[in-house]
Amino acid sequence: MYILTILSAVLLSVLTGMPVDSSSLRLEEVTVTAVHRHSSPITSQSSVEVPAEQLKEQLQSSLAQSLNGIAGVQASSIGSGQARPAVRGMGFNRLAVVHDGIRHEGQQWGDDHGLEIDRFAIDHIEIIKGASALLYGSDAIGGAVVLSTRGRGAMYEDAKPIGGSAQFFARTNNKLFGASARVEGVKKIPSDQVPHTKEGTFYWRVNATYQDYADYSVPTDSFEYYSYRIPLYKRTLRNTAGREADGSLTLGYTTGSWHTCLRVYETWARSGFFANAHGLEVRLSDIDYDRSDRDTDLPRQEVNHLKVLWHTAYSHDHWGVEVNAAWQHNLRLEESEPVSHGYMPTPPDTRERQFSKHTGTLHALAKWNVAARHTLRFGLQGEVQHNRRSGWGFIIPDFEQYSAGLFAAEEWRASRTLTVNAGVRYDYAHMDIHAYRDWFPTPVGDTAVYQERSAAIARNFHSFTWSAGLRYADKGWLVRANIGKAFRTPIAKELGTDGINYHIFRYEAGNTDLQPEESYQADLSVAWENEYVRVQVDPFAGYFPNYIYLNPTAEYREGLQLYRYTQAQVVRAGGEAMLTVRPWRHMDISVQGEYLFARQLSGDKKGYGLPFSPPWRVMPELRFHWETPLVHRTSLPRPSLGYAAINFRVCGAQRDIVPPEKPTDGWWTLNLSAGQKFHLSSCELSISLKADNILNTKYYDHTSYYRLIDIPEAGWNISVMAGVEF
Amino acid sequence: MKKNIILLFALGAMIIGFAACEKTAKDLTPPVIDEAGFLPADCDIYYLGDTIQVHFVCSDDTELGNFNIEIHNNFDHHTHGTSSVDCDGEEGDDHHHDGDEEHEHEHEAVEGAWVFNQDYAIVRGLSSDTVDIAIPVPADVLEGDYHFMLRLTDRAGWQTLKAVAIHLHNPNE
Repeated sequence: MYILTILSAVLLSVLTGMPVDSSSLRLEEVTVTAVHRHSSPITSQSSVEVPAEQLKEQLQSSLAQSLNGIAGVQASSIGSGQARPAVRGMGFNRLAVVHDGIRHEGQQWGDDHGLEIDRFAIDHIEIIKGASALLYGSDAIGGAVVLSTRGRGAMYEDAKPIGGSAQFFARTNNKLFGASARVEGVKKIPSDQVPHTKEGTFYWRVNATYQDYADYSVPTDSFEYYSYRIPLYKRTLRNTAGREADGSLTLGYTTGSWHTCLRVYETWARSGFFANAHGLEVRLSDIDYDRSDRDTDLPRQEVNHLKVLWHTAYSHDHWGVEVNAAWQHNLRLEESEPVSHGYMPTPPDTRERQFSKHTGTLHALAKWNVAARHTLRFGLQGEVQHNRRSGWGFIIPDFEQYSAGLFAAEEWRASRTLTVNAGVRYDYAHMDIHAYRDWFPTPVGDTAVYQERSAAIARNFHSFTWSAGLRYADKGWLVRANIGKAFRTPIAKELGTDGINYHIFRYEAGNTDLQPEESYQADLSVAWENEYVRVQVDPFAGYFPNYIYLNPTAEYREGLQLYRYTQAQVVRAGGEAMLTVRPWRHMDISVQGEYLFARQLSGDKKGYGLPFSPPWRVMPELRFHWETPLVHRTSLPRPSLGYAAINFRVCGAQRDIVPPEKPTDGWWTLNLSAGQKFHLSSCELSISLKADNILNTKYYDHTSYYRLIDIPEAGWNISVMAGVEF
Repeated sequence: MKKNIILLFALGAMIIGFAACEKTAKDLTPPVIDEAGFLPADCDIYYLGDTIQVHFVCSDDTELGNFNIEIHNNFDHHTHGTSSVDCDGEEGDDHHHDGDEEHEHEHEAVEGAWVFNQDYAIVRGLSSDTVDIAIPVPADVLEGDYHFMLRLTDRAGWQTLKAVAIHLHNPNE
């Protein structure tokens, strides 16, 4: 029923034909302009762009980790293969990850759940620092990571009929090896073959990635946990190995004004959890974890993510419309050794938790150049989520969630240098949470009761949000300012959970009365550059009247400490600063830094900060880069483009902690990287090297999943990548 | 417009300044369980049908929360991180410190083994307390090695754990 309503509304908005012009609407894939443009149409927002080249240099095995070197962006590692991204300390459900126009939907509430996206299939990343609810709705309360796959430059104009690339990479720390390949092509279809149309272009692309890694090494032989020494075999974290296989396919067709494409992405990953970190004791286990460093014993996680996306856009002189429809299936299996606990008898199998989540999304966008200087945008978004759990461990209930959002935004190009924008948005969400009872009885008095762990809840949420901003660009200045209100719908776990979290051994209680989390945020970005210097400062301040927070209480329930979801007033502020100096055309000296402050202003934890708050960080870098003219006369490879850099990562201590966190000391690491491209007559070769933490510094990352049990971050590592593009 | 934005940020800075200066007595340390005089002591032996006299002193720099006592079998001789030992005469294997995860344990439920799990409240407002509890040991449970586990919170939600190895003996054997 909801789907029908949403569908018909979308159709209606498309048919009524919101006038627009051809240049924008996130149609970069079609128009392929030479000038690099914003992915986001709200140009006043403070953002960082990560082009493909820069992404490649990172040589990280996961997408989130590749972003870790950007001020304002954090990657919390979950073992070595996966990481969870955060922007200005906001992660989980407070950060929207938008993949080719569609919000990526997995089980992003989990501390130990990574991002199920193939980083090698991503060509461009834009990180929007600050609330982006106007465009992306709920979850974009802390920002958005906008990922896009694009063709190679000018692909549809003078592209070769067929091309591709292959990359081979290895890392020493976790003995990772992997390969990624891409083949793509275009075919022009003359207009006489397709009646009633202009000349069209058919294009296609196939991506495949595979990587396999062993347990990762840490610079310590053992670690202390509650005054207890846990020895590590060969300085590796047992059972953190894993593997990942990804594939994607794109088929598209475009004429001058029409563009349609179908994309299919599949990601599969399996990785072990450090055996001592999941309430499971090695001694009780018959598993010989130290037998091999490449196997993934229990406990482990396995994730499959399938995404099918269909995009169609039409643009005319003064208007354009775009429709994105997508279906995602996230299948996550978490296995542990079946062990009895409390009144729970020994479970029959290893399937502790399994989540199967289907998400259907429909977005319609329209753009209309009302007048020479005015552009109106309308958007309609509908989403259906269907989540089913199974397995003997309960953490979140089954649920269905239906949501719809409607926004309108106006952009006014006041002058050559100044653009002003403003928008409003309304969202409605309906959440249906199913009841859940334990599969085993618990004695209560003289009777045995199958305890209810989640009550059936039906809730409706309404949110009205707005934002306004300006962008001023002139004579080397770029000033962006934004102010707005954003929101987030409470998730099923926050509303409905009521039971023992066997992963962290605590009793977690949801709160059915939670209101949508809201935030008011202002952010500013001031940048100035000339030939030799670039400087940018991005401060922000925000206020949450009702931040949703899992509060550790003094109470016990069923023998374990009770953690209860509550809402508190929170104020947050901070910012990033970046300075680059180019004293010589081949040398850049740069430094970037970030700082974040958060304070709870009400509730039980008044005066405390927020959990997983990243401490300040400064990253100085000295970088040499060179370019030599292309020579095609010989068949010998000629160096064309290269770089070498030395980089420090300096991180402050985090003493602003919330129970059960521990204070984390500051640290610094030294990193080196270098790369070179070679041109051959028909292809381009590239090789990159990166040495991380070359001093093998033992340090703790306050935002890391394993921080709570005192496990240091990975030790030194050398990554190598060789690539060929043809 | 620009002035307005600057004003807004000045306001933001003031809020933060205010928040930063706010002198809230923040509890950043977990409660403390005194080692001295703690009963039961490691390797204490109790008879079935007997009573375990629990005695300990706990304190917190701000305010104590509550505590929980759990007794579970240690027939497989696992070891807790917080001072629980393998007592002499027990047949603990020699690598018992191998990767034991302190935090919490999942225990093999053994038919007939004693399971005790009880939450206790501490009077509000105390920063230190002396606890004396008598826990009767049922006469009809299996004898053997057990762990006595104490969990203590403070008002802020910090938790401290203590585990003690005890032995239950059947007087009729």
